Amino acid sequence: MSCGNPHEVECTTVLEMVYLYIDDELDEIRRVEVVTHLKECYPCAGVFQVETTIKARVQVCCSGQAPQQLRAAIAEQLRQSMSGER
Amino acid sequence: MSNQVTTQTERAQRFEEQALPYLDGLYGAAMRMTRNPSDAEDLVQETFVKAFAAFDSFEQGTNLKAWLFRILTNTYINSYRKKQRQPHQSSVDELTDYQLHEAESHTSRGLRSAEVEALDLLADDDIVRAMSELPDEFRIAVYLADVEGFPYKEIAEIMETPVGTVMSRLHRGRKMLREHLTQYAIDHGYMPASAASGGEDA
Repeated sequence: MSCGNPHEVECTTVLEMVYLYIDDELDEIRRVEVVTHLKECYPCAGVFQVETTIKARVQVCCSGQAPQQLRAAIAEQLRQSMSGER
Repeated sequence: MSNQVTTQTERAQRFEEQALPYLDGLYGAAMRMTRNPSDAEDLVQETFVKAFAAFDSFEQGTNLKAWLFRILTNTYINSYRKKQRQPHQSSVDELTDYQLHEAESHTSRGLRSAEVEALDLLADDDIVRAMSELPDEFRIAVYLADVEGFPYKEIAEIMETPVGTVMSRLHRGRKMLREHLTQYAIDHGYMPASAASGGEDA
């Protein structure tokens, strides 16, 4: 499947690499191939943008901040083992 | 150098210095796993107890962060998941894996940008909710990759599974995630149902 324009690497091949690309798991040669393709292929670039957007939203929305009481409880546990009370 | 006898105090101090910086990340993962704050706290606390007890077996200089996440994941899968009486989900991987490579195709021009705009409009809670609807293994893999930025090889070690399985979990988890998010966007009226990707030009 192709967007109709000639590319050095086919759209199907590039689209298969979308997760490897956003997860930074491609070697440099493959990465450059993808970047080059995306510059000349608007539809593929759109797919990559959707996946990049979701990854970024998950990163921000699903990160956690431990409640203070939990931090304190863990520190207390360690302190007890330090003083050998436990 | 390791012949030196390490006192319990030194050991605890070293553990605190090295492990405590990962508390937020571990709690975030625990929240995604258990989906409730009180279980998440218990899970993290249990993780720290286990990690501290096993700290001598941790090889200094290797990846402490991955080691801690591995203990967390193990603890969750072996005890919390059972407690929460969720249907056993580890069989998700065994389902037909090769429609997985059904090639992604593009939709027509313009629709993707509508999808991106709609995704940006979704509330943080929508993203959290969509994640919470994924099966455990998918949700954990996506969390480790997207939030913690672990490479596939480390996710494989944490989840004790081959790298290929990690890739398949990520692939399928993200596909489901996108479907949920697109549905929420349509429900909220952020995008027309006709703009949903994945159907019309298959």
